[in-house]
Amino acid sequence: MTYPEALQELVEEFQDVPDKRERLEMLFELAEEVLELPTEEWSDATRVRGCQSEAHVRVSIEDGLVNFLGAADAMVVQGLMGVLAIALHGLTPAQAVLIPVDFAEEMGLTNTLTPSRSNGFRNMYDKVMGEIRSGME
Amino acid sequence: MALRDQFPILQREVNGHPLVYLDNAATTQKPQVVIDAMNAYYSESNANVHRAVHTLAGEATEGYESCRTKLKKRFNASKAIITSGTTEAINLVAHAWGRANLEKGDAIILTEMEHHSDIVPWQMLAEERGIELRYVPVTPHFTLDMDAFSHALEGAKLVCVVHTSNVLGVRNPLEEIIEASHKAGAKVLIDAAQGVPHSTVDFTRFGADFMAFSAHKMCGPTGIGALLVQPDAFEEMQPFMGGGDMIETVTTQGSTYQTNEHKFEAGTPRIAEAIGWSAALDWMETFDLDAEHTRLVNIASWVAEELRSMGMSVYGRHGEDDAAVVSFLHPTINSEDMAHLLDARGYAVRTGHHCAQPLLHRLGISGTVRASFYVYNTRQEAEGLVGELREIVEKFA
Repeated sequence: MTYPEALQELVEEFQDVPDKRERLEMLFELAEEVLELPTEEWSDATRVRGCQSEAHVRVSIEDGLVNFLGAADAMVVQGLMGVLAIALHGLTPAQAVLIPVDFAEEMGLTNTLTPSRSNGFRNMYDKVMGEIRSGME
Repeated sequence: MALRDQFPILQREVNGHPLVYLDNAATTQKPQVVIDAMNAYYSESNANVHRAVHTLAGEATEGYESCRTKLKKRFNASKAIITSGTTEAINLVAHAWGRANLEKGDAIILTEMEHHSDIVPWQMLAEERGIELRYVPVTPHFTLDMDAFSHALEGAKLVCVVHTSNVLGVRNPLEEIIEASHKAGAKVLIDAAQGVPHSTVDFTRFGADFMAFSAHKMCGPTGIGALLVQPDAFEEMQPFMGGGDMIETVTTQGSTYQTNEHKFEAGTPRIAEAIGWSAALDWMETFDLDAEHTRLVNIASWVAEELRSMGMSVYGRHGEDDAAVVSFLHPTINSEDMAHLLDARGYAVRTGHHCAQPLLHRLGISGTVRASFYVYNTRQEAEGLVGELREIVEKFA
């Protein structure tokens, strides 16, 4: 499928930058794009399991749209949350769950094929999409 | 050919930069001779071992057993059981020796410095048998609390201790531990996964009852390792896995077992891996490991000092017998971010808890960045790492 417009623009923007260090710096700047989940609201229920660093997310459905909050110790992880927040912005749950996991890899940031201890992004994506699906039931 | 040039992978680039591989405590790279030996086995000699009389079976058997012969020679050991690695070797001791010799109320001594592979098998056995586990604490100087160890020894049946910490690089006072343990009537298992890649060990003189290690941390293949066992401890071990190759006879009424190491190597073994490891063991004889170790510890010590000067916390002491491992943390830059930024410039380092959570808990941290050096690493690479880290700190701290 095609990505939502804002995400598609981001993917292309990252693909235009050949240097990975520069891409990481761009990603770090996107860390601010996610609505922050305050540390006092971190719990086992919000924890992204399998992440090397602490990462927490919460998803709710408000006025029929996905509302996503997140926070992480690592800028890399919070930056990816920022990308996901941009991707989910203004989407209904039915639209949101159609976003494939591939964008982080297409942006030249991380491998997304398999969840593992070293792949916090995939674990985060799976948790967020799982919670959106639960909210649809 | 220069030592470094024998490793084809070191010629590659990562993210547009020459690879600087500094994750050697996780696994080492393989020289061309190891890759060639495994290819040759599959191309020319592939067959099962110990059974058939045909030529290929003979070549495969000879190749597999040559690994054992070389292990016994290199480490001066009379018994070398080939396993899948350190983890399986330790589990083998738990199942084959522990179940036959430990009972409810017995005590095993572990240390807070152990890798999970030398903790979890004992926790499982302890739960099953009602065995007490006693942990020797780690001091603020990154060493074992030897007073606590002495107190813990009373009534212990087994002492399990890591040769060299995979996080700290600290080499433990093994000779003292072995002597005290034996005086107290306890057997000793050494997890030497991080030790034997950096130093040669005379297992017979060393005196530990069991010593476990892996091939892949000493330029051999993954999926293979060894358990060295002293003869008296070997006699106290009961077979764990049943199957082909470990039996003498099988009838519908029961079975009798082999009396040598094959008793603990049920099923078709890791033939290609043994042949690869055999080649790696030969290769390890082509240079002076002690001299390389001194060179690498000097590099690690220099890196540690440089990192401290940048405001980093460094976990380890880098003494002459320690491994060339530098575990560090910056006060504000997240370790995962640090590793990603380094990877973007071709530097491969490890982050996380390094499968040693009790140790990190004692240190009051949840993970470190770890750069670990091996024989093909150069001073120039270390200088490059320090330069990259300086740049990262200036930009992101």
